[in-house]
Amino acid sequence: MIDPRPERARTAGTTAVGTERVPLLEMRGIRKRFGDLQALDGVDLVVNEGEIHALVGENGAGKTTLMNVLYGLYHPDSGTIRYRERDVRITGPRDAIALGIGMIHQHFMLVPPLTVAENVVLGDERGGPVLDDRAIEERVRGLEERFAIAVEPGARVEDIPLGLQQRVEILKVLYRGSELLIFDEPTAVLTPQEVDELFAIVRTLREEGKTLILITHKLREVMAVTDRITVLRGGRNAGELVTKQTTPAEIARAMVGREMKQLKARATPPRTEVILDVRGLEALSDRGSPALRGIDFEIRSGEILGIAGVGGNGQSELAQCLLGLRKVAAGTIRIGGIDISRDDPKRTRARGVAYVPEDRRIEGLVLAFTVADDFILGKQDRPPYAANGIVLDPAAILKAGGRLAVEYDVRPPNPRAIVANLSGGNQQKVVLGRELSERPKLIVVSQPTRGLDIAATEYVHERLLEQRGQGAAILLVSSELDEIRALSDRIAVMFEGRIVAVLDAASATEERLGLLMAGHTEAAA
Amino acid sequence: MPVASVVFALAIGAIFVLLSGHDPIAAYIDLFRGAFGSPYDITETLIQTIPLVLAGLAVAVAFRTGLFNIGAESQLLIGAVAAGAVGARFADLPGFVLFPMVLAAGIGAGAGWAAIAGYLKAARGVNEVITTIMQNYIVVFVMHWLLQNGPMTAPNALGTPASAPIGAGAVLPIIIPNELVPLTRLHAGIFLAIAAVVVFWFLLWRTPLGYELRAVGLGARAAAQAGIDPRTRIVIAMAIAGGFAGLAGMIQVTGVFHRVFDGFSSGYGFDAIAVALLGKNSPIGIALAALLFGAFARGGSIMQANAGVSAQLVSVIEAVVLFVIAAELIVRVLTARRRERKPLEAIA
Amino acid sequence: MTIDQLIGAGVLAATLRLATPILLAALGGVVSERAGVINIALEGCMLVGAFFGVVAADQSHSVVVALVAAMAVGAGLAAIHAVAAIHLRSDQIVSGMALNILALGLTSYLDYQFYGTTGTPSDLAGVPDIEIEPLAAVPFVGDVIAHQNAIVWAGLALVVLIQVFLFRTVPGLRLRAVGEHPRAAETVGIAVRQTRYWAVIASGMLAALGGAYLSLSVAHSFTDGMTGGRGFIGLAAMIFGRWTPVGALVASLIFGYGTALSFSLQGASIGDVRVPVQLLSTLPYVLTILAVAGFVGRSRPPAADGIPYETEGHA
Repeated sequence: MIDPRPERARTAGTTAVGTERVPLLEMRGIRKRFGDLQALDGVDLVVNEGEIHALVGENGAGKTTLMNVLYGLYHPDSGTIRYRERDVRITGPRDAIALGIGMIHQHFMLVPPLTVAENVVLGDERGGPVLDDRAIEERVRGLEERFAIAVEPGARVEDIPLGLQQRVEILKVLYRGSELLIFDEPTAVLTPQEVDELFAIVRTLREEGKTLILITHKLREVMAVTDRITVLRGGRNAGELVTKQTTPAEIARAMVGREMKQLKARATPPRTEVILDVRGLEALSDRGSPALRGIDFEIRSGEILGIAGVGGNGQSELAQCLLGLRKVAAGTIRIGGIDISRDDPKRTRARGVAYVPEDRRIEGLVLAFTVADDFILGKQDRPPYAANGIVLDPAAILKAGGRLAVEYDVRPPNPRAIVANLSGGNQQKVVLGRELSERPKLIVVSQPTRGLDIAATEYVHERLLEQRGQGAAILLVSSELDEIRALSDRIAVMFEGRIVAVLDAASATEERLGLLMAGHTEAAA
Repeated sequence: MPVASVVFALAIGAIFVLLSGHDPIAAYIDLFRGAFGSPYDITETLIQTIPLVLAGLAVAVAFRTGLFNIGAESQLLIGAVAAGAVGARFADLPGFVLFPMVLAAGIGAGAGWAAIAGYLKAARGVNEVITTIMQNYIVVFVMHWLLQNGPMTAPNALGTPASAPIGAGAVLPIIIPNELVPLTRLHAGIFLAIAAVVVFWFLLWRTPLGYELRAVGLGARAAAQAGIDPRTRIVIAMAIAGGFAGLAGMIQVTGVFHRVFDGFSSGYGFDAIAVALLGKNSPIGIALAALLFGAFARGGSIMQANAGVSAQLVSVIEAVVLFVIAAELIVRVLTARRRERKPLEAIA
Repeated sequence: MTIDQLIGAGVLAATLRLATPILLAALGGVVSERAGVINIALEGCMLVGAFFGVVAADQSHSVVVALVAAMAVGAGLAAIHAVAAIHLRSDQIVSGMALNILALGLTSYLDYQFYGTTGTPSDLAGVPDIEIEPLAAVPFVGDVIAHQNAIVWAGLALVVLIQVFLFRTVPGLRLRAVGEHPRAAETVGIAVRQTRYWAVIASGMLAALGGAYLSLSVAHSFTDGMTGGRGFIGLAAMIFGRWTPVGALVASLIFGYGTALSFSLQGASIGDVRVPVQLLSTLPYVLTILAVAGFVGRSRPPAADGIPYETEGHA
């Protein structure tokens, strides 16, 4: 069937008008706010036809938000989009698809029980009401041959591995005649082999005249296949680079670069006993892919080990394994010499492990409870809260709650207040009060200051340092490099489920960390 | 809010009465008088209220743990059957031995039966709504089998399918002397019901277990990471719920019928859902809601006889109440979602 | 106990008759849940179909009008559930149960108001049986299928129709996508909410047809609560039949057979022991629990079943 859309009739290659290159896509001054958060603050993006363009940045930089705006999943608060030299309004995916923009999502938008072919044509089946599986499989096969993408059209999506599922996503957008393809973190779930295969497909697509935008934080991909790079940082532009003319170091600096901060001079801790010892830790993610591929590290008493890395490289899974919330596939976790890798959270905590989870509203607190009740979560069967283990003592609970609320600066310090009504910072203080008040041996802290204002952030940092001074071993997972560098004694960088380096805080410059976080391995020191 | 939903439902009910050509005021007056008009009426209302309170507690304790217990009816029935069987089998034993046995049988049967649903949810993720609905039907047919020319059947004056009478030692005595209120049937089960309400309150708000159940119901993931395993708590919650409902069944047998009649329950287990929701799963609320529905049940039959308005009007009112509550939940969910629209999910 | 009591023509004919209302409710359940909405109000839709079918038959003396009216009311009740579940995103179980109670109360109330203690009229227009002359002469088979009601045949036809629709047509493909992964469906431009509305309304109509069968084909009258839980049994058949129309048919036949047996074996005995027919009646429910718990093969509902779908970020 002949595609009636005129844009498709263009031949591949750049639209060269003389020597001037006309950009395929121009996004100017894009702003988007979510509640308190300014996710995009006047971002520009210019993409030329026929190029592979990298959109690079850390978590929270705004990459996915920007592309969701382009694809019509979000509406920008202000800004313009010009596509093929025309101003366009994209109100939903249908508009984007009609323009020729296609998105390959990070979390695949595939219907598992349907076949590959059915998934590709879903919504644009082009035939009568009768479903002719053979016809659509033929059509999909034709597409596959043209773009050298191999995946069995008759197979059910739920039966094929993730790497192949991604190809189905690609075929989907090609089927709809997309000229501009957006890839959102495409190698997140791929094996190295699959990554190479993906690069081959990407190059073929460019040869066929497609334009690609790659959202990524991995420098390997950027250097391997892209032509130009736009770097975002904190919702703003931080650099436009040409791949051939730049270096990984320069990209990393743009991604991460802040004004050089003075590191607080801190006494190097004396060599103390090892509190936490992790060897060969392996675990799977919720999607079934390997999240931890053999983690080794130890933390000593009075030491903070920071885990740096872009979110999604295994940090969450690591914290969950330590607490007993995720099944350990292999390896050991020892606290004071005892292997706790098979223990449930209750037993783990009994060994003196405290946890400040990354999602305080769902994991850290029972929002509907009072402050006093949340302070005793997990301790409800212990004196003084339950004098003989059978009966709760509300007076004691309230009293302790009042005391802790004052001690941990919860505002207002009212133990009867409902936690859901507190601000984020005060909610986090409740979590801290609960977790830190009983001299824990090991504290696992994940994104402790996410969504908090400066005052609350400083408070959290002070309390953590205080615990460190009292001899606690602290594992700090954070995507905020400032935080990692300010608090940690040593910094381990996680990338794709492994610890790629462990640095002393003093030698962990931002540039070095940025490179490591982006997967750039250093020459063996 | 609950008061408003009842008033609204009564208004809707009035519209139905009008549409069918009757006088709503007269109908409602009859309804009220039938429920509270005389001391005898009041005791009859209380007799209806007692199983409703207990069944309401059964539904509420499950709700508090985040579970939907639609099986209060079958838990009630199985408690009744167990109590009736034990009461009849050992009918000659003295009261201080027989009564605790019958009590334990009723509560235990209900608890065990409900625990099955809890276990399936905890261990295999089976939706408890499906399990308990299925269990409702299983018990109904088992009762048919037991009581219609079956193992528990015994003849009685009315000729209806029923079991042998329970021993005198198991009977709950009438607590109001005949001189005060002639022909009254109000039995000592009311004390058990009051005690159950107290136990419900004490369990949920004065024991560590109750705290854990509420934590699982309001924040299962936070509870889990704190060391409270939701799976075990789910089974325990269902068992406790079944115990309350089983007690209701046992009380109906030992206080009202003195034997097990096939089909004796007029759907208390289902009304209990509305009772629990209307009472906001809290002790006083459940007691009041149960009293309201008890009044409806008692007054409805009088209303039908006098005003010619079908007693089923009560079901209509009940359904509207339930629907309004569902709407309330909707409003709460909507406002909560708006507040919780996290920008974090949108971050690149 | 004789062979004839077990698999005689009478028992098999009764099986078809008893399976039909369950089947229609189950088909309604399949359509609704394949689109991702749990329609626990099917029992209520069945009941209003039974009642208003009788009312319409009484008023119009036309079977066609009666059936149309029954399905319209069923659709209406289902529409309320659809609004609550899809638009207001309420707890689908609570609102569904409320509608069931409403249906029961409303039909009983109106039954008393319209027909008082005398009951529904005895000369109601009824749905005719379909006599298949040539087959009637065939021994055994003729007895089983040559005299079945029109709605029985309609039910069987609907099994084929809905099976083809779901698995062999494009609209069916889209409906299944909506039930499995509504977000994916939305990103390719499928109207998720609209699809779900239609599915729920269709399910109400199917259940109502089942109810009308009970009142207009079988009993030729209406009694309070006459559906007796068949709406829930239909849901059980749907689960047991793994959310496919053909599976629902097989399950409904099994359940219908169980009930037919319990009638046929009344008073029968194996040697000295009387057959516990009521216990036989528990079979559908026990089987369903086993199926849902995963003990009898995998019984997995559509992935997005029962989860309210949130459209994110759109203006």
